[in-house]
Amino acid sequence: MNENLFASFATPTMVGLPIVILIIMFPSILFPSPNRLINNRLISIQQWLVQLTSKQMMAIHNSKGQTWTLMLMSLILFIGSTNLLGLLPHSFTPTTQLSMNLGMAIPLWAGTVFMGFRHKTKAALAHFLPQGTPIFLIPMLVIIETISLFIQPVALAVRLTANITAGHLLMHLIGGATLALMSISPSTALITFIILILLTILEFAVAMIQAYVFTLLVSLYLHDNT
Amino acid sequence: MPQLDTSTWFINIVSMILTLFIVFQLKISKHSYPTHPEVKTTKMTKHSAPWESKWTKIYSPLSLPQQ
Repeated sequence: MNENLFASFATPTMVGLPIVILIIMFPSILFPSPNRLINNRLISIQQWLVQLTSKQMMAIHNSKGQTWTLMLMSLILFIGSTNLLGLLPHSFTPTTQLSMNLGMAIPLWAGTVFMGFRHKTKAALAHFLPQGTPIFLIPMLVIIETISLFIQPVALAVRLTANITAGHLLMHLIGGATLALMSISPSTALITFIILILLTILEFAVAMIQAYVFTLLVSLYLHDNT
Repeated sequence: MPQLDTSTWFINIVSMILTLFIVFQLKISKHSYPTHPEVKTTKMTKHSAPWESKWTKIYSPLSLPQQ
């Protein structure tokens, strides 16, 4: 039973070959690159969406931070489309893989931190000690702040992994319960089915919100360091 | 948790890097955002070039040498 629950999170292979590269690359097909003078509806909607998001998210940054716009917009589109495609039945969701999320979080976080230390060394070092700390607390607080800096990318990756994994597990469990209750008591099955529908709606929201949260946090780390 | 099995981490990370850092960015960078069409005045804007209407120093005779 325990193996069955987590079976859908194992990286899929086909005749021993990892097909995960095709699965991860798949969302990019849904974003065709515009090569006409007049775009079709799909590209127009995507461009409008990207423009709206980038206006909303990059307005707080200075011109140096705004050079990250392309990176952050492709990040939110990638995570969002991967999450939404993962909600299709029997599909594999790459964002449930801790490795992939760590692979996204660590370089982006490291990029912002290196940028901070390179261009604003004093301000970056000042983050290690809040203002007005009593003298005897200083060594401990510097250690705590250093740990909290290095835990940031891990928290970023684990947040995305845990949210998506928990949502999929919950849907799996409630779906299984509905199916089992169908023959025992149809009225109870109806209640669980309604819960399942509501949960599915919630998961669609979570899929988009988590993409937004991941990108927003990277954007905030960038804001602290530019 | 099959996510913690490190044998698949390499292929996961490599394919993510290819997709996110190359394919997606190439596609998103092709988006273009033209400004809204708007009416512009057909009149030429008047440049305020100082040499058009008044004498400037280059037209004036050379100043006399200092005495």
